[in-house]
Amino acid sequence: MMVSKEATMSDASKPAKRPMSPRRKRYWTALGIAGAFGGVLGAWMQMAQSDGPAIGLALLSNSALPVNFAIGSSIAWVVGMTISLILYHRSVDDHEERAYLWAGTAAWYTLTLAAPTWWVLHRASLAPAPDVMLLFLGALAVNAAVWLWLKYR
Amino acid sequence: MNNKLKVLRAMRNWSQAELADRLDVSRQAVNAIETGKYDPSLPLAFKLARLFDMPIEEIFDDGFEGSDNE
Repeated sequence: MMVSKEATMSDASKPAKRPMSPRRKRYWTALGIAGAFGGVLGAWMQMAQSDGPAIGLALLSNSALPVNFAIGSSIAWVVGMTISLILYHRSVDDHEERAYLWAGTAAWYTLTLAAPTWWVLHRASLAPAPDVMLLFLGALAVNAAVWLWLKYR
Repeated sequence: MNNKLKVLRAMRNWSQAELADRLDVSRQAVNAIETGKYDPSLPLAFKLARLFDMPIEEIFDDGFEGSDNE
């Protein structure tokens, strides 16, 4: 019976796991900060929306938000994202930087095509009023799709 | 752009992850270069050349066959 070389390798023969480089530590720290801020703000927004925490997705709602939440979340978003993005751009390799740049370009084109078109159609009463959050989420979805494709294809 | 990265890596018995660690880039970056989906930046190409102790033009081939005299 033939036994493959891989099958006969024991765990002891596997190379030891290398410690994370400073670049990779910064990278995962940046993603961790962004994820934590996003998660906390999303949960806080869901709880703070005036029509109750269980009704609908807060991100897609246009209901009023408490003033304290609006001020607090705005500061947290700007500060948290700024720190996270500085760390991210100091730690990505150039393959990912390229993916990021093309993803950003695709998201920008999504906005430049969708926003004026929607606005003009609305001015002629052919479409409902433009929804800023829907445009943002659309651009974000395109950004994520292009980034994932270029990084992991 | 064609390159010999996969062959050079195999000659040293390195995995993509190991080469990525040595270059301080992600494994996806090494895979994208090897499969020709991504051409590295000049600093990364120099890093590769130093790591394999070869000139850049021996690792990468842009397909140009002209000479300096032309």
